[in-house]
Amino acid sequence: MILDQLDERVQQTLRRRGFSDLSEIQLRAIPPLLRKEHQILIAPTGTGKTESAMLPVFHAILKEGKSGGFQALYITPLRSLNRDMLSRLRWWCGELGLSVGVRHGDTTMAERRKQALHPPNLLITTPETIQSMLMGSRLRKHLANVRYVVVDEIHELADGKRGAQLSVALERIVEYAGEFQRIGISATVGNPMVVGNFLCGTRPFGIVEVPVASRLSLSVRFGGERFDSQVKLIEESINAHLASLIFVNTRSVAEAIGHHLIGRGDIEIHHGSLSKEVRIDAEERFAKGEIRGLVCTSSMELGIDIGHIGHVVQFGSPREVARLIQRVGRAGHRLDQISRGTIIATGFDDLLESLVIARRALRNRTEPITPPRCSADVMANQVAAIAVERGEVETETIRHILNRAFSFFGCDDLLDTCISQMEEHRLIRRDGDRVIMTGRARKYLSTNLSMIVDERKFPIIDYVTRRIIGTLDESFVIGWIHIGAVFITRGRLWRVLEIEDEKITVEPAPKSVGELPSWEGEQIPVPFEVAEEVGQLRRVRNFTEYGADEPSVDYIRRVLGEMEKNRTPVPTDRLVMVEHTKEGVIINICGGHKANEALGRALSILISARFGTSVGIEINAYRIFLRLPRSVGAREIRDLLHSLESEHIEAILRIAMKRTALYKWKLVAVAKKFGAIDADADYEKISLYRLSEHFDDTIVSQEVYRELFSRYMDVRAAGDLISRIRKNEIEVRIGPLSIIGSEGLFTSQDLITPAEGDQAIIGAVKRRLDAQEIILACMHCKEWKQRTTLSRAPDQPECPKCGARLIAALKPYEEENYRIIRKKKKSAEEKEIEAKMLRSANIVLSSGKKAMIALAGRGVGPEVASRILATHTTGDAFYKEILKAEKKFITTHRFW
Amino acid sequence: MKPRFLPEGPAVLISRSRSILVIADIHLGVESALSRKGWHFRSRTDDRLSRIITCIENTDPDLLLILGDLKHSVPQVTWQEARELPHVLDTIRKRVDLVLLPGNHDVGIERYLEEGELLPKNGIVIDGTGFLHGHTYPSPELAGHLILAGHHHPVIHLYDEVGCSLRGSPAYLLGEVDEGILQIPTVDHPTRLLLVPAFYEYAGGIDIRTIPESGISPLAKSIRIETAEVFLSDGTYIDTLGALRSECDPGSAG
Repeated sequence: MILDQLDERVQQTLRRRGFSDLSEIQLRAIPPLLRKEHQILIAPTGTGKTESAMLPVFHAILKEGKSGGFQALYITPLRSLNRDMLSRLRWWCGELGLSVGVRHGDTTMAERRKQALHPPNLLITTPETIQSMLMGSRLRKHLANVRYVVVDEIHELADGKRGAQLSVALERIVEYAGEFQRIGISATVGNPMVVGNFLCGTRPFGIVEVPVASRLSLSVRFGGERFDSQVKLIEESINAHLASLIFVNTRSVAEAIGHHLIGRGDIEIHHGSLSKEVRIDAEERFAKGEIRGLVCTSSMELGIDIGHIGHVVQFGSPREVARLIQRVGRAGHRLDQISRGTIIATGFDDLLESLVIARRALRNRTEPITPPRCSADVMANQVAAIAVERGEVETETIRHILNRAFSFFGCDDLLDTCISQMEEHRLIRRDGDRVIMTGRARKYLSTNLSMIVDERKFPIIDYVTRRIIGTLDESFVIGWIHIGAVFITRGRLWRVLEIEDEKITVEPAPKSVGELPSWEGEQIPVPFEVAEEVGQLRRVRNFTEYGADEPSVDYIRRVLGEMEKNRTPVPTDRLVMVEHTKEGVIINICGGHKANEALGRALSILISARFGTSVGIEINAYRIFLRLPRSVGAREIRDLLHSLESEHIEAILRIAMKRTALYKWKLVAVAKKFGAIDADADYEKISLYRLSEHFDDTIVSQEVYRELFSRYMDVRAAGDLISRIRKNEIEVRIGPLSIIGSEGLFTSQDLITPAEGDQAIIGAVKRRLDAQEIILACMHCKEWKQRTTLSRAPDQPECPKCGARLIAALKPYEEENYRIIRKKKKSAEEKEIEAKMLRSANIVLSSGKKAMIALAGRGVGPEVASRILATHTTGDAFYKEILKAEKKFITTHRFW
Repeated sequence: MKPRFLPEGPAVLISRSRSILVIADIHLGVESALSRKGWHFRSRTDDRLSRIITCIENTDPDLLLILGDLKHSVPQVTWQEARELPHVLDTIRKRVDLVLLPGNHDVGIERYLEEGELLPKNGIVIDGTGFLHGHTYPSPELAGHLILAGHHHPVIHLYDEVGCSLRGSPAYLLGEVDEGILQIPTVDHPTRLLLVPAFYEYAGGIDIRTIPESGISPLAKSIRIETAEVFLSDGTYIDTLGALRSECDPGSAG
């Protein structure tokens, strides 16, 4: 009996908890863990994974007896998970007489101090907090007692630089604590061995996996092409179950669906932009059964316990198999239960993709994770950390620590290169074989504890309506946005008028002059394998084998029938269609986001070199859209596809990427980790464009390329596609624009339609001005003023005190100035203010309301207003003059 | 007189009876100022010096004229500048005579210069050509001459049918000025201006199209836009400023 192997106290507690038997993962995981083997545990959520890891740890701590310091660490990627784990493990620890604490960004100073004086036996924490604990001598002493480390949601961490940093941190703890037992808890991944290597380095480990696929019940339904009908289908699903999670891919979609359903009263929204309080409230109400549906983004993917979930709805394709499994796995949270999920597909691409992903999920074909190897910025960060930790340290000691971590096996030369680069930025000094911290290093470390790149969001404001039309990520702003720049978002062109106070003011741009980057926002890439299988499904058309229901098959056949009627061939995994459009060329190629990104960018640089033009590109998983001048057409693109050689792609991309926003953004992020740029440095002070050249051929730019070519684009898959084209395994043909070709690119799922055309613009301006507050102030008796809105202001105002009609129309912020004019002695500046008010009153006297309207314009003073009035325009033309003046103000006033 | 444009600078050689190599806005010592703003780079003074030497060797001039902003930090001389300036100046002096028209960043430069090297702030005519840093009103003696000026860091973006094909490239602006705005007398010759791009490579620069409205100097305001001409750093003529502005006028939208 496995239970018998556990300490008597643990057995008693289990009985008190009402555990009569153990779950499969517990049965299989506990014996090797009791033998102190390193283990990776993979099982569906809600099957008692946490207990399967922790029961043996509790057993061991009780057996060995409590020592000072932290005996076990429980590491999770999120604070919210930490809180959840604390409430779960507190009960166990309480029963067993062990102490438990949580330490992360939200932990109070008092609590931290308490932990430093009386360290709990078990500490729940995040990777970044471990970094900060290693900086302090007292906490390092407590870490020296660590015997067990559990890393929860390890797949999430291992897949990025946070994980690489953590893998070094674990080795740094080994320096003080000696070897400890390592336990990883993971969701299903395509390559569990890599997860084990990541956690354990070269140490032997075991894997216990309970496959999730056998417990999945998945269906795909077509929600129609209209948002209304899609939401209706969601509602049906919600009504059919007691408790549903509705996963969506972006925050804006979550908001849109929430907006539609909030009237029901039993639905809440949950995503990362909402405040913690709002989210926790929604979680609690869901757990209590007060609401039956929670519309959420990936914020709910990880295992936060919110009680029983009957059903999961995935709105739109989940894009990846792992994501689908993780999300649907949230349903049916009891042992031996099936997790039920429904994908509601929203279009042709979306439907086929959903069918492919659902089938791959049922066949357990999860994507592999790809932990970054030899990531130079992580290395630099950890070298600085070790230097600060020790003041000065032998280079060989650092090398020894790094060499044990999986993320840095065999990156030997990298260490010396990194140290030299850090020395250049005066983050460390070198003295023979020793590395010594500089005065800057401690400050650097406290602002660089985390490898998470925090991106600011900049609101975009349409200057016509003064409304927020969306947000841009900092990366995009740094790389592309300057005054006059034109960019695409929500399927439209916008021109930047002003960047101020972290806000970007834009106007609709009528034609495409300027650089044309496009901003898609939060995109989850579709893997190559999925996109390719979608292409195959378009060709073989065995929809029922994919479990497509009747409405889905009908819809697909209707689209394919339409294609046939139009005599436009259907692009597949064996056929690339290059289609003409008015604005450029669409290459229909089933390569997935990352391969298409690589291919699109490589093609665009070849085109610009060959034809001397610049190229705008937009991509998705199934097509590449190149915005081109008339002189370059589908024929030229086809020839390029044939002449491109796969082994040249990477070299071409190195040139191409250098000009992108992404490159510059990554360059800044990596340079920060090398100490070249402070965390809070001001970008406006320097030309990033020129600066980036100074990192050419350094380890900084090498790291950027390494990351770009592994994270953001798939050069290998792009190369495969090209060599199959050259071998004629994939045919390339030319055709007119088809309905499949235009899908996704021109049907942006716009929820806010920006103003279009003159009428709409002027209407919006009128509305804005009408609502504008103004101050009417008598310039005759100087004793009456009134705040009102333009719409309420009389046509010809009169002072109620003295009856004069010499009334100035002031902006609200000018109200203060009114008292100046009553002063006996005025300074030169005050006299000027008075003169300006008089001018204002004069034109109001002569032109009445019309003058007030002009004066209400942004940045329009009496002088500009009289110029506007002098045009003698009326109606729309008059408003256009005001607009022109406002625009001039916006485009020039930053130089005043 | 014909200017010779040196893209390796950017710099320009003016030859009449003497040949004068003109370099503007070198901003030596910028690194320590950047460091205070959170950007930590090693000094690139040596790279800049070797670029200066290359320009001297390629043209063998009679005089090197630095058009202001030799150093970067205001209002004081930084440690970096104090350490590096003497070496830079000595290295140049060994090859050619040098003079400096002090710019707004050249506070405290006097102590590093030898007698006769410091020119008057409001400009000077040498060998028939006027020189001025560009942040002040010019001396009346410059009226009727071609005036070379720095200070504006002009760059150009070029657009084609689809998008931007050249971004932030250093550029020259050559055109007539309105003497009234500059408060200098009108003489029989028109007064012309050649804005020289910055030698300093971190300069973001000002889009040449927007210089007239930039408000950064009297010179900027005085440019006669329609006829002014724009050149790349190698002397390639692009177009008139008027044409460049109308082709990409932010005001033509909407």
